[in-house]
Amino acid sequence: MQDLVDSALARIGTAQTGEELEAVRVEVLGRKGVLAQLSKDMGKLTADERVARGKFINASKLALESAYDDKKSGFDRVALAARLDSEWLDLTVPASGVAPGSLHPITQIQWEIEDLFRSMGFTVLDGPEVETEFHNFDALNIPGDHPARDMQDTFWLDGGHLLRTHTSPVQVRGMEKLGPPLRMIAPGRVFRNESVDASHEHTFYQLEGMMIDKDVSVGNLTYFMKTLLTAIFKKEVTVRLRPGYFPFVEPGFELDIRCLICGGDGCPVCKQSGWVELLPCGLVNPHVLRRSGIDPNEWNGFAFGLGLTRLVMMRYAIDDIRWLQSGDLRFLRQF
Amino acid sequence: MKFSYNWIRSLVDGLDAPAESLERLITMKTAECEGIELAGELLAGAVPAKVESVEAIPGGKHVVKAIVDAGKYGRKTVVCGAPNCRAGITTVYVPLGNKSIAGVLSEGMLASASELGISRDHEGIIELTGSDELPPTDHVIEIDNKSITHRPDLWGHHGMAREVAAITGKALRDPVNLSVLPAQGSPIKVEIEDLALCPRYSALVFENVTVQPSPLWMQHRLTSVGLNPISNIVDLTNYIMAELAQPMHAFDRSKLTGDTIYARPARDGETIVALNDETYTLAPSNVVIADGAGPIAIAGIIGGRDSAISDTTTSIVLESANFNAGNVRKSSVALKLRTDASMRFEKSQDPLNTVRALARALELLPLISPGIRLVGGLADRSAELTSPAPLDLNLDWLARKLGRVLDAAEVRRILESLQFGVTESGPRSFSVSIPSWRATKDVAMPDDLVEEVGRMIGYDSIVPTPPLVPCAPSFDPPEREFLRSVRRLVTARGYNEVSNYSFISEESARRFGLSVEDHVRVLNPIAAGQELMRTSLLPGIHGNIVENAKHFDEFRLFEIGHEIHKTAAKPEERPHIMAALYAKAAANSQDALLELKRLAESLAPGLHVRPAQPHSWEHPARCAELWWQGRAVGRLSELHPTLVDAGRAAVLDLDLALLQELKPERGKYKPVRRFPVSAFDLSVIADARELAANLEIHIRQYAGELMEAVEYVREFQGAPLPEGRKSVTFRIVAGAPDRTLSSPETTALYDHIVAGLTELGYAFRA
Repeated sequence: MQDLVDSALARIGTAQTGEELEAVRVEVLGRKGVLAQLSKDMGKLTADERVARGKFINASKLALESAYDDKKSGFDRVALAARLDSEWLDLTVPASGVAPGSLHPITQIQWEIEDLFRSMGFTVLDGPEVETEFHNFDALNIPGDHPARDMQDTFWLDGGHLLRTHTSPVQVRGMEKLGPPLRMIAPGRVFRNESVDASHEHTFYQLEGMMIDKDVSVGNLTYFMKTLLTAIFKKEVTVRLRPGYFPFVEPGFELDIRCLICGGDGCPVCKQSGWVELLPCGLVNPHVLRRSGIDPNEWNGFAFGLGLTRLVMMRYAIDDIRWLQSGDLRFLRQF
Repeated sequence: MKFSYNWIRSLVDGLDAPAESLERLITMKTAECEGIELAGELLAGAVPAKVESVEAIPGGKHVVKAIVDAGKYGRKTVVCGAPNCRAGITTVYVPLGNKSIAGVLSEGMLASASELGISRDHEGIIELTGSDELPPTDHVIEIDNKSITHRPDLWGHHGMAREVAAITGKALRDPVNLSVLPAQGSPIKVEIEDLALCPRYSALVFENVTVQPSPLWMQHRLTSVGLNPISNIVDLTNYIMAELAQPMHAFDRSKLTGDTIYARPARDGETIVALNDETYTLAPSNVVIADGAGPIAIAGIIGGRDSAISDTTTSIVLESANFNAGNVRKSSVALKLRTDASMRFEKSQDPLNTVRALARALELLPLISPGIRLVGGLADRSAELTSPAPLDLNLDWLARKLGRVLDAAEVRRILESLQFGVTESGPRSFSVSIPSWRATKDVAMPDDLVEEVGRMIGYDSIVPTPPLVPCAPSFDPPEREFLRSVRRLVTARGYNEVSNYSFISEESARRFGLSVEDHVRVLNPIAAGQELMRTSLLPGIHGNIVENAKHFDEFRLFEIGHEIHKTAAKPEERPHIMAALYAKAAANSQDALLELKRLAESLAPGLHVRPAQPHSWEHPARCAELWWQGRAVGRLSELHPTLVDAGRAAVLDLDLALLQELKPERGKYKPVRRFPVSAFDLSVIADARELAANLEIHIRQYAGELMEAVEYVREFQGAPLPEGRKSVTFRIVAGAPDRTLSSPETTALYDHIVAGLTELGYAFRA
């Protein structure tokens, strides 16, 4: 019996393939194998012999199984290593599946600024692109015979409506909707009836902002604009105000920033002045407040308009405004 | 508006700031300067020069050799091409441009009035008379007109000089001396029909007038600020307009009928031939100046040709009037005629200024038309001239508005330097009276004074300060977040966002089967082809497909934008998304259409596809309506092959306003099943064009309560199935919430479905 076991252990040890090893296992450890047969024969033995046989079988079984497992896992390791090696892949070939698309650069900058304002407690509002003359002009203190209407060439529609020439009418809608105190911005598409060339478009994007509260000052406005522009341009921005005329604010300002290209020394971008005109702003004209149902003796505020299209062009150094409405994927896929 | 630096300097005593720094000061405190340039640069070294002799140059074409006595430069030889270059005249020598012309060395040049910046005359070299002095070179500061539309006073040099005096702390000089006007009656009468349209009409009458060129200094000033010198009388009116912002007009008195000047609304259909030789047909909304015979000027805009000053004029009526700003503007727009006068009147000019301008004329005219005589005194009719009530200015309020501490004395100094009247009305409180030239429209409330003080103390003296406001969350309309989520999802699926115009052409509307009449029309389109507001994003997206197909074999793109629909009231704007998928090499569009369908389902989970009547732009066998919660929310189509040159394009259109409206709230969660489910496959044989969705509906109908899901697996056509038939395989998943289904239960379910579909005429494939 011991010989049988020894020879089986030897065959396990010398097995060259998985099949050889399996053959030994079936022959010795299988259901009809040698050890099973020895167990079956135990009925014919005396009680003492059965005890000795039982011990022998268990010991042999443990020894054989251990030898088998060692050998088997050796074969498995080799086989796995071979498979893994055969599965070599070149991962430098192009990726598959659909590549991600892109948001329009205007959308991207709009979201960025919306998020910035929301973090400062501003509500983001939309207004219609087709406006009434009242909301686009009269409510903003620009009556029909006002020369300021010349500043904004207007597309007129049949039915007496117009395409909004600025996002400022959303100020009026926002005041009507939210009431004071309020902090709001209104981004969107605006229209001016002017010929299109590399730097002029009849369709472009603006962002209007407004804050109405008690005792809002020019100092608050400059603080806010400085904070905002520093966040947008991701570097400390120096601003200055100078007089500007817009009928819906009083006083009205043009806000300039110190040229980000030359730092104020003078360069072609700032036309050697060291400053770049960026946005119009001012304290909200009491007439505008009153027309929107807000008592100017109790409330006041500031308003500003930011050119989103201009900001996109500045950020990405886009030299021709027409790319933005071109729908050309050679351009759009870059964003 | 162009301003002469020398002119401003003549009105501000002791002004020493150079033009360049003045430009910066004006920009920071008053109005935006657009640039500064030299006017009459050549005048810097120019001297009067007498032409002593002229001789032809052999072989020289159109040029002669002139010997001139060039004063301090001595005797010079100059080659000159001017036709009027002749011995004996006095002209102007400029020591520039030494060069050899036609073999003769020319030691400088003789200049035309145009080259010298004195007038636009470039016919020949300038000819000086004995009394002429050469004006000095000037700087011209150009101010952006938009930044002074609210300031009627800044349309003249005196107004700008007032600003400069206030900014620099110098004294303003008033060029007007009202005491020169004699207190006697005028030989003419003035009748104003509507004082609201013409609040004031003033005039002087002169005789013994000589019409001749103005002196060079006047011509040079007018030319520098962009006005064209014509003759002394006309130049005078323009000169005073440029100085005092008061437009004036001179009539040839001998050509007027009667001695009464009328200011009245035009009769309907009345015509006038204007100074520009155009004939204007007028309406009662226009105001005219008329004599006994008819209109002699369109009020505030342009004079008439028939009463204009000419070389033979010897007596004149000099008009200085005030007209209603809104009316002038409306007439000017209606007649498509903007003039230097109308531009000023539409800014609301000061009625007190009419007489000031006449007083100024009375002093200037003898200088430019020697021997001229005033006839009688002032003709003057006006509405009652009232000054507005003073404004109460509380200094604490002012300080809160600006966000800066203010010194009462400084505020007073600033306002007084701008010629506001300031009296103390209480502690930290002023009563401020408004000068007439600021009172017409510009300054009417205390807020307007915030600007006056703010700009003069300098906005840079205000320290940026954080506002003290309530800490409150922002309110955001839900549709904004919805649109953002749509954009995020669609771009993540590989689509590039485009942005197209809101305008389309009539041709394009027709091409896509849209009725032109259904569109809102642009009354003043920028170009042909942009006359309608889009009622669909399709024309733009189609353009994007065609253009990009020139550069790419495959692409995905989308636009989110407003459709604008005509309604009885204000046009309705509906946000839509249109997504498109193009593949040049696609043999079939099924993958593309199903990808777009998945995109739609991602936005509207559980939407249904229904067969649609094809539009002309659609592939007639490949289009469908998309329904969600009982509403048609969009459309899925392949573009008609005739609209795409090569390849195939599929488009998805969804009404985002509707999706947002129908979007369900997320409800309670459904407990996860605890007992295993059973599943079996069933292959139904049907007509090849039977909709898979229909088969699924039938299966669901017979599946009963135990059914968990019916899933489409695949479909198959071809042998052994007969032509025109297909087999569609579904997987039916069944289960119960409280137990594992027994084998007989599953079998019974299978049999029930098969029996039901058999009754409907379907066969099955093993």
